[in-house]
Amino acid sequence: MQPNIKWLDDPRVFRVGQLDAHSDHFYYDNEEDCAANRQSLCQSLDGMWQFAYSVNAKERPANFYEEGFDASAFDKIKVPCHIEMAGYDKIHYINTMYPWEGKIYRRPAFSGMPGERMEGQFSEADYNPVGSYLCRFDLDEKLRGKRVTVRFEGVEQAMFVWLNGTFLGYAEDTFTPSEFDLTDAIRETGNVLAVEVHKRSTAAYLEDQDFFRFFGIFRSVSLLAKPDAHVEDLWVKPDVCLKTLAGKVSVDLKLSGCAKTVQVRVAEGGSVLAETTAEAAQALSVSLDMPKAVKLWHNHHPNMYTLEVRLYDEGGNLLEIVPQPFGFRRIEMVDKIMMFNGERLVINGVNRHEWSARGGRVITDADEIWDIACMKRNHINAVRTCHYPDRLSFYRRCDEAGIYMMSETNLETHGSWQKAGMIEPSWNVPGSLEAWEAVVLDRAKTNFETFKNHVSILFWSLGNESFAGEVLVKMHNFFKQTDPSRLVHYEGVFNNPVYKDRISDMESHMYTPPHKIKEYLDNDPPKPFILCEYMHDMGNSLGGLKSYYDLVDTYPMMQGGYIWDYIDQAIMVKDEVTGRDVIRYGGDFDDRPADYEFSGNGIVFADRTEKPAIQEVKYYYGLHD
Amino acid sequence: MDCMTKRLRVVYGDLTLGVSGDNFHVIFNYIRGGIESLYTGGKEWMYRSPQPTFWRALTDNDRGSRFHLKSGMWLAADTFIRQTGVSVAVDGEAIAMPIAPENNKYSPDETAEKIAITYTFETLTVPAAKVSVTYTVTADNKINVAAKYFGTEGLPQLPVFGLRMIMPTHATGFTYEGLSGETYPDRMAGGVPGVYEIQGLPVTPYMVPQDCGMHMETKWVEIARNTVLSNVKDGKVSTLKIAMDDKPFAFSCLPYTAEELENATHHEELPPARRTVLCVYGAVRGVGGIDSWGSDVEEAYHISAQEDHEFSFNIVL
Repeated sequence: MQPNIKWLDDPRVFRVGQLDAHSDHFYYDNEEDCAANRQSLCQSLDGMWQFAYSVNAKERPANFYEEGFDASAFDKIKVPCHIEMAGYDKIHYINTMYPWEGKIYRRPAFSGMPGERMEGQFSEADYNPVGSYLCRFDLDEKLRGKRVTVRFEGVEQAMFVWLNGTFLGYAEDTFTPSEFDLTDAIRETGNVLAVEVHKRSTAAYLEDQDFFRFFGIFRSVSLLAKPDAHVEDLWVKPDVCLKTLAGKVSVDLKLSGCAKTVQVRVAEGGSVLAETTAEAAQALSVSLDMPKAVKLWHNHHPNMYTLEVRLYDEGGNLLEIVPQPFGFRRIEMVDKIMMFNGERLVINGVNRHEWSARGGRVITDADEIWDIACMKRNHINAVRTCHYPDRLSFYRRCDEAGIYMMSETNLETHGSWQKAGMIEPSWNVPGSLEAWEAVVLDRAKTNFETFKNHVSILFWSLGNESFAGEVLVKMHNFFKQTDPSRLVHYEGVFNNPVYKDRISDMESHMYTPPHKIKEYLDNDPPKPFILCEYMHDMGNSLGGLKSYYDLVDTYPMMQGGYIWDYIDQAIMVKDEVTGRDVIRYGGDFDDRPADYEFSGNGIVFADRTEKPAIQEVKYYYGLHD
Repeated sequence: MDCMTKRLRVVYGDLTLGVSGDNFHVIFNYIRGGIESLYTGGKEWMYRSPQPTFWRALTDNDRGSRFHLKSGMWLAADTFIRQTGVSVAVDGEAIAMPIAPENNKYSPDETAEKIAITYTFETLTVPAAKVSVTYTVTADNKINVAAKYFGTEGLPQLPVFGLRMIMPTHATGFTYEGLSGETYPDRMAGGVPGVYEIQGLPVTPYMVPQDCGMHMETKWVEIARNTVLSNVKDGKVSTLKIAMDDKPFAFSCLPYTAEELENATHHEELPPARRTVLCVYGAVRGVGGIDSWGSDVEEAYHISAQEDHEFSFNIVL
């Protein structure tokens, strides 16, 4: 397999040599590691890597991945880190417009527009920076002699990967894991992992989120070794009768390697509640009844159980343990009202971008822990992962904290259909364009496959502000058909209402004023109503929350919303004049066109201190907590 | 009552009226629009005469809804104001303006139970609106301040109506009894009643400096300072207390005027903080929140310029 730079230009190529998306489960090859939650089969590659920046593909060191390449002229860069935050290229904030606005004339390939020109649109652009990364590593003892993969948790926006000169593959979709098998190319010592990251590709049309436009390896990179037998994927499907609290849990397993038997247990704390054994197969399903009434998972009482899978060889030796936390809860539509565990759901929600004033979208465990504590103390019970999947660890934390998640797919094509507030979709993607279908559906599939075991996810969201067409219908159908245990959300049909009947389980709006919501609710509405964005907390704002909560109190079908948004997106730098730490925003980096302070809408400031308005959130959300 | 037994000493100056009690001396300037000096607790508390205030530094929502393009004339009105008159009443009786030579009839030993001085103003708006501010000093060591805006047809909504007092140096902080945090008419349900002490004069670090630090429903606020402009420095902390009259008031206490905040696109552009700007408000526009690109603040939280607005408070000495 040979890499081809033209893949950057072709929306039909987005995934080459990548392993299939799979559940984000932890696994161990012995009881001690499992008990201690010590992932000794995982080797972090985070740290200082060699790095070269080029302004475009033509100027990049194209053969840098070859063994023996002299990289002595390379710089050093930290992984993870946005390339711009390391001092290259340009920090740039822009909202709906594509980031090349006013600089490069572009129309999406296959859009039928006269100026679409696929070939070379990104691969030959004068400005389309490239980051060439080299990571030299020896394999940890524990990983040697095993099947090994490399997992990139987040790379913006398109990348080619080599190990020891061998091409492994190509990936897009910035915000989900990309994994490649290294087994055939890896050595015990002296490995060179080469990653070529391109700032823009056709993926740029699908990632027009309202945020700082970065590129580079911005989340962790790890090596993962598989025991001789391995659970490649599992899907835990709990089911509960709300009347009797009788519970049942089934699990679909996909295995690789040489297991002979599979033991499946349900445990709570230290005690085993149910257990069964099956013969191993590439794919199998196992089902267990809960022996007594189950405790439901809920915002206030996030009761969790563990489904433990153990793989044994013929001699009865333990090969692998997967302890998958899960919970029993039910989200369903009853008489046009979203019911959670049998009660009307009220979403006291917030939209959360991953952000830190020092790191941009490179955040830490401490940031996530702080965020969840902030949500809990302010009675926020729901989070929308706007507008892309978050770090893997955040989903686990939401399970444990009882936060209701709307897991949003990495899709936004805002600049392709809305111009200065006006709807003008003449070259909207994905629309109903066949060439853009596979890439978009793959994003939905990856979102689902990666996070399907998280009890906290109540809603799959198709994406944000991407208008509506047949491709969005197919996304909706994918989620509905694959996962009947959750509801599907999408707001963008609001702007293309002919698709209203075919997309989204609920009527979702943004920023609709209270009197307009009342109008909807007063006219025999077909679907319950939520606001996926409301209370735009830009600067000193958040006045009038009462009017929305009056509607929540009056109309059962008004089921709350998600405040826009959680944290100001702004960057802390040293002031050139005073030397003090100061906050900078769009336009402050000579970036043009920009949208300036429009990214400052958080209920917390960029440095994670609470804004004064948060006490109002705490009050009204507290009324329905 | 004290004021029945105690009397105020009054100095009928050529251009000013001096009034003193046990622990204060206040000088009203007839042509400078109000109190020129308020000396108490060993400190001067007035940097310049108090002035009616109409503007708040635009919030992002104000900018988004083009509030400035509708109500921008209040910015000029806030910056410059025309004084149209001044009158004095002693013990409830209006007197002829005691300026030279009228004041030749007084002596060094003048006293009174109550002195009231009323300033009238006209705003720079088109059409102009009338405003009056009456200071009533009584021998129980109190200055009652009553401000009135006279509703005028044809004027756009007001951002705020209040009285701005600038103190010569930066306060060490302030204590107030009212609601927790920062509150506005449409964002005060979460405010918890109590007594709160604020260190320094924090300017809330919104990305673009804008109106901030509002406290609705306040019973009293006490400003603490330990610095003076005087050549004699003693570092002593003294306080000035503003208390509600017939109903609670709103206030903000910041190191900057609305115009100074308005001029900065980043906090580091604000000048070094050196004064204390205390604004006491009788009317405050809401902040809104529906969106930041057009939706107005809800109607209940608008301030009509067609209607009268009156409020009063006491400076407790």
